[in-house]
Amino acid sequence: MESLHPRIRLLWIGQGVITAAVFGVVLAAVDRWLLEVPTTALAAVVGLVFVLGAAYAIRLYQVWQFELQPDALYLERGVITFVETAVPFVRVQHVDTQFGPIERALGLSSVVVYTAGSRNADVRIPGLPPTRARELQDTLRELAVESEADDAV
Amino acid sequence: MNRLHPLSAAVYALQYGFVWLWIPVFLLVVLSGIFDPVRAAWMPIFAVIGFALGIAYGVAYYYRFGYRVTEDTFDVASGVFARRSREIPYGRIQNVDIRQGVVQRLIGLAIVSIETAGGGDTEASLNFVSEAEATRLQNEIRRRTAGARDRRRGRTGTSTSAVSDDGTDLIGPRRPSEMRDDGTNLIGPRRPPEMRDDATADPDLESLGPGTGAGESVTDWETHADTFAEPRQKRLFDLNSRELLLYSFTSFRPAAVAAVLFVFFLATDTILEFFLAMAQPVGGPADLETGTTGSYGVLTIVSLINGIVITYLLSVAYTFATYYDFRLGRVGEDFVYERGLLQRYSGSIPSEKVQSVTVTDNPAQRLIGYAGLWVETAGYGPDSSGGSQSAVPLARRDRVYGFTENLTDVETPAFRSPPTLARRRYLVRYGLVGAAIVAIAFAITQVTVLERWYLAAVVFAAVPVAAHLRYVHLEYYVGDEHLVVRRGFWRRRTTVIPYYRIQTVSTRRSIFQRRLGLASLVVDTASSQSFFWTAPTIYDVYLEDGRDVHRTSRKRLQSALRERADADDSGLSVDFT
Repeated sequence: MESLHPRIRLLWIGQGVITAAVFGVVLAAVDRWLLEVPTTALAAVVGLVFVLGAAYAIRLYQVWQFELQPDALYLERGVITFVETAVPFVRVQHVDTQFGPIERALGLSSVVVYTAGSRNADVRIPGLPPTRARELQDTLRELAVESEADDAV
Repeated sequence: MNRLHPLSAAVYALQYGFVWLWIPVFLLVVLSGIFDPVRAAWMPIFAVIGFALGIAYGVAYYYRFGYRVTEDTFDVASGVFARRSREIPYGRIQNVDIRQGVVQRLIGLAIVSIETAGGGDTEASLNFVSEAEATRLQNEIRRRTAGARDRRRGRTGTSTSAVSDDGTDLIGPRRPSEMRDDGTNLIGPRRPPEMRDDATADPDLESLGPGTGAGESVTDWETHADTFAEPRQKRLFDLNSRELLLYSFTSFRPAAVAAVLFVFFLATDTILEFFLAMAQPVGGPADLETGTTGSYGVLTIVSLINGIVITYLLSVAYTFATYYDFRLGRVGEDFVYERGLLQRYSGSIPSEKVQSVTVTDNPAQRLIGYAGLWVETAGYGPDSSGGSQSAVPLARRDRVYGFTENLTDVETPAFRSPPTLARRRYLVRYGLVGAAIVAIAFAITQVTVLERWYLAAVVFAAVPVAAHLRYVHLEYYVGDEHLVVRRGFWRRRTTVIPYYRIQTVSTRRSIFQRRLGLASLVVDTASSQSFFWTAPTIYDVYLEDGRDVHRTSRKRLQSALRERADADDSGLSVDFT
């Protein structure tokens, strides 16, 4: 099983920081217009959200794994709900590599695998070094073409 | 390129005329407020100009809209200034629907919609064409789709159909009058490809579509019967009046609630007066301002009962009108259906596009031993509930099970249940819901005159019942070629998924499930995403069992693919020898 690049933790911790900041702003707004919130409580909530977010990010990195199995792309992920997904290569419609501005700044990119399904229709593998992402995209594309069946849609 | 029916020019002209009429009116109101020289008094002149331009645009739209049935694709070109031309390959078409509203039926027009997988919208919509043209298109596209399929098979092999030939016996002759000899022609020799074209322009094609009432096994090809044996329509199922009434009275449509609420918001005062008048004879208040707690209580209960009865009756009427005169037939390898009292729908579903088949029933239907059958495709259905279409709205349960087994070739399932540990989860879950209700009741007593919040604790009596009912309706069966998943109490769904149709398989475990060693298995097939639709899920089985089903599904998907590839190979060798 392959893990993500460790730097993805920074991205996820960053998301935790943003969530904590949003909580802080909401509480400040409540304090300003509705009822008084003690500054210590505000700081405590923001701190707690940040710690939880960071712990979540680190745990998510620990559990996130994927693997190319003989017939399918297999992924394991999830902190609250642990999900093991198998995407058979025959069902791959197309494969993208994507990166947002923050991912780019961290030197990471994502591979997104699309199927015709409704749920989990796009399976995203975040936090890969760009070369690895491109390599994975090429491999998946080749495997998808190789195993192409009579179209099931 | 063919044009739409000339009357659509008038409809478009009026539509755009009335829309464009408002543009100068709006602009004048805004501009006259800003600039002095602009006068609001110019409004009538500009409104007329806007209307005239709208009419011109509508007429131009009509003249610039064209569609064409070509050898490989269905083409639509549209747009007055910005042109769009779209080509839809026949092999990709999921279903072709004809829709007719009341007015359209009176003047003999219809809307044809063509759906493909993917995309949140209808890919091609022709409004309006004449009834005869609509039926001709539906048949034509169906025939060409079948042709594309045949050519593909001719190239790659045979027997790629998702439904075996036994499927033609789906229901079998029901009445002696229907025991026609056409059953044997179903898979009869198709016309050779080179003969396809001249027939497309044949003007005197018999229609078998809506409005003509000619669904009774009339085909386009009767006049050509001596040259080639084209498949005729074989009737599979008619919803008789008893079944229609049972279906109307035992099913409930959430849309009725929305409709009632909408009307309530439109005419709140009138309806409140009506409720007051209804409640007065049994001790309701004289008006909304003066009343005692008791009389308000009576008013609430009477209004609630009224509301429920009205909503229910509306739902009954809606279902009745929607499924009135429902018929399902089979032409070649396609299913065709028609239904509707005021608005007529007619659709065709290629059987090789069927992703999964679902038997549904609710508690009332289970009580009388009836069930319904739905087929799922990846396109959008006219019910806009994803790609789910009713194949048999309601029939005796054993008959529906028979249809399902014929349609999918699934063996009679020997269901397995999740461990009783799962029931404990639901007990806890519904217990929490009960606690939340009591908490809300307590909050209400704090801010209103009501007391005795603890009476709400009576909901706890329902908790074990609810948990048990949810548990007993969860079942699954791992077949040789199909996975069967059953879930739900209010609307129980038993879905038959061929392994071949599986898109992805996921094993999910929440923190609570992990503590108990349980897992849920989500089996996804290709389908349109919709808000209410959830992928078939086997809930709360032991992790080992879940993993086992996960592995089995993947393995059998691969072996099904291999079998198909082998069948294709043998088909090739047959072709070349």
